[in-house]
Amino acid sequence: MNNIFKFAIYIFLTLAFAWLAFFVGAKNQYGDLEPTSEYLEENKSVPKDADLFPKSMSGNAQLGAKEYLSLGCVTCHTQQVRTIDAGFDVERGWGQRPSVPRDYILQKEVLLGHNRVGPDLANVGLRGYTREWLHKHLFNPQILVEGSICQPSPFLYDVANEYSTGAINADNEADDNASTIFIKPTLRANRIVSYLESLKQDYELPEMSFIETQDEDAEDVEDVEDVILAEESTTKEAQSGVPTWLADQIASGKEIYSKVTPGGGMCVGCHLPNGLGQPGAIPPLDGSDWVLGDKERLIKISIHGLMGEVVVNGKKYVGAMQGFGQTLGSPLNDQQIADVLTYIRNEWGNSVSAISPEEVKAVRDSHKNRELTSMWTEAELQKQNSSD
Amino acid sequence: MNKTSEQQIDQSAKFAFSFFVASAGLWLLAAALLAYIAAAKLTDPLLLSSWEYFTYGKIKISQANAFVYGWGGNSIFAVSLWIIARLSQSPIRGTVFLIFAGAIWNLAITSGLLGILDGHMLGHELLEMPKEVWPALFISYIIIAFLILVVFRSRRQKVTIAPQWFIIAALIWFPCLFLFAWNGLEINVGRGTLQSILSMWFGQNIIWLWLTPVALGCAYYIIPSVLNRPIDKYYLAIFGFWCIAGLAPWSVVHHLEGGPVPMWVPAVGTVMSIAMVFPIAVASTNFHATAFKDVSRVWNYLPLRFVIFGTLSYTISSYIGVIFSIPAVAKLTQFSIINEFHFNQRVYGFFSMIIFGLVYHILPQVTGKEIGTAAKNFHFWTSALGVFALLLAYLIGGLTHGVLAQQPTLAWITVIDSVKPYFLITEFAFIILGFSQLVFVLNLWKVIVPNPFSCCEKNVEQKTA
Repeated sequence: MNNIFKFAIYIFLTLAFAWLAFFVGAKNQYGDLEPTSEYLEENKSVPKDADLFPKSMSGNAQLGAKEYLSLGCVTCHTQQVRTIDAGFDVERGWGQRPSVPRDYILQKEVLLGHNRVGPDLANVGLRGYTREWLHKHLFNPQILVEGSICQPSPFLYDVANEYSTGAINADNEADDNASTIFIKPTLRANRIVSYLESLKQDYELPEMSFIETQDEDAEDVEDVEDVILAEESTTKEAQSGVPTWLADQIASGKEIYSKVTPGGGMCVGCHLPNGLGQPGAIPPLDGSDWVLGDKERLIKISIHGLMGEVVVNGKKYVGAMQGFGQTLGSPLNDQQIADVLTYIRNEWGNSVSAISPEEVKAVRDSHKNRELTSMWTEAELQKQNSSD
Repeated sequence: MNKTSEQQIDQSAKFAFSFFVASAGLWLLAAALLAYIAAAKLTDPLLLSSWEYFTYGKIKISQANAFVYGWGGNSIFAVSLWIIARLSQSPIRGTVFLIFAGAIWNLAITSGLLGILDGHMLGHELLEMPKEVWPALFISYIIIAFLILVVFRSRRQKVTIAPQWFIIAALIWFPCLFLFAWNGLEINVGRGTLQSILSMWFGQNIIWLWLTPVALGCAYYIIPSVLNRPIDKYYLAIFGFWCIAGLAPWSVVHHLEGGPVPMWVPAVGTVMSIAMVFPIAVASTNFHATAFKDVSRVWNYLPLRFVIFGTLSYTISSYIGVIFSIPAVAKLTQFSIINEFHFNQRVYGFFSMIIFGLVYHILPQVTGKEIGTAAKNFHFWTSALGVFALLLAYLIGGLTHGVLAQQPTLAWITVIDSVKPYFLITEFAFIILGFSQLVFVLNLWKVIVPNPFSCCEKNVEQKTA
């Protein structure tokens, strides 16, 4: 210990070994986990056409995670359901099963937390709160839960005394003298609520299935339970027409389409809210053979842009569209591009398959060397398509 | 060691030491204010709620950062500078660089905290300050640590002793820890809960491998030098040191018990934190067996009273910490406000008390001015009372919180309702602590800042004392 250099090396090594185990070791163990299906085939492969879980969050919810982080919500709320041996979380109804590492692999901000002054939020999207309830709780928790010590966030809302579209009545029912209040959620409040709604571990994974708790209703007998759950999910989908993850993606895409300030796509400025564009200059999106057709071509245009002459639905248009992958103002990320493209493919009269962020990433990666400012031309896109 | 060389060393340390102690004191006040606001917001959630800058989460997190990096960092620089210089019998060089780096350190923390309040925090424990400030913090730290290590290298006595191991190790641990965590959290970002493992590892190790060893080193220095007798069973100290070095980096992850991480991670953590009884026992034996041979001196010399309060608190609460890491107990207490107990006992009850003692011991020697006994005594008793009330409230409140939360039929709001009285106690405890820290800073102020009237009334200070 008398030689400072030797001593420094020993001190460094004490940390290095622990770091190797906890970071490198754990990374090798599960660092390349991928989304998978709820059940595997006998040969451990993923069944064909099975839905993969976890799903990535909608772009709106991802932005909500950032807001959640910046307000410091993680100080009081955990997002983890502990195993049966280690805690009472499942019995308390905070989840149908313990959380596993795979649940978090698609999250950018992993906010496990380690204090529970408030309840756990890992499955808050499953508790049946309406958006309105969540907004009211964010605005002023005390009007919904008497005695709550959750901090109100009135700065996320525009408050008025009269109703306007989209506003929510947030009267304090406990206080008779209080005047009528209507709150209109800002963009940020909407994002946080989308994020909270997206927090749900409502799928089983090969490594963890749902846990039966004793105090369940009589009709939820073990064998039938899976069937009931399956039925519930199908009826839910049948009612709204689309599964919730798709609805989320479309909602987020709509926001990006219509937003003209940084962070949005500004699409609405040229393509108009009705998606019809302008004759001769801006091609329509509604019913367009380009929008409904090849996904790859569509993604290419949204990343790099398009210039020159283009023929859509047999009509000729001349103009230029900037690419939204370039660093002009605020570029859209893979998730946001996927959301907005999914939106235009499912709005107005359109209704075709969704585009996933993975597909966008694949296209982006395959044209990494192309300068972001160099727009595509129709000729280029046609040539590549025919050569494929 | 002869008197003149000691005086030379003190003279060389005077400016840098005063600078670091003064900034530490100001950060302590800032942290006390933030701690009070956070506690008050828990008893009245409507307080300051219309300002986005003051959400509970932001206040709480900036308080922890102000405390650890502002108060903790600056006071670590101050005491290690002086102790290392004294033990090496070698004066401090490069005061200009020390002050310069210290100023950058403080500015970086200030802007980091403003960044947190403005909503730019990162999601990693005790690494919450925005990305941009970390290079500045890191570089200024390296400059300061390097200058302390230069003093250490030029020491006259080649054989090192316990305080030197602990302090030098802590100085080296911090940048290593930071680089490891930064690599996994911001450069080669780990996916999913890998981030959580690393963030927990960093956040807890900052306490265990940076604040704790410095405080232990201070105790190893001041106890024998004031009592003028060797450390009892000193041969165990080296075992204790390497136990902390070897076990602490592994033990801290037991807080992830049951979470979505590989099962072996918290399991290793639990085993290692139970093994921590060895270094705790060693330090405790060393300190208390020595100190209790001369209780009257400990009691009458106030700096030492502070230090022994700190070491006793370290012993008791570290054992409590070991008990709470046993899985059967952790099941109840893991996410309860017991976590606040752990944090506060370590930074207030242990680290801060020892640093207070050291500052009161060093300042008169460096500046040549004595601090009033009544003021020091007031500071000691209010600190002791505040810490005691705070820790007791968090301990009992945490147990209540954990036990009630375990009953699935109890609504969550009922659980929180029964913890509320303890939040109220902590609010009062933070008021007491705030007062006591104000007295501490005023004590510093009187000694460090030159009194403009001192030329005409030289004896006023002694009289008021």
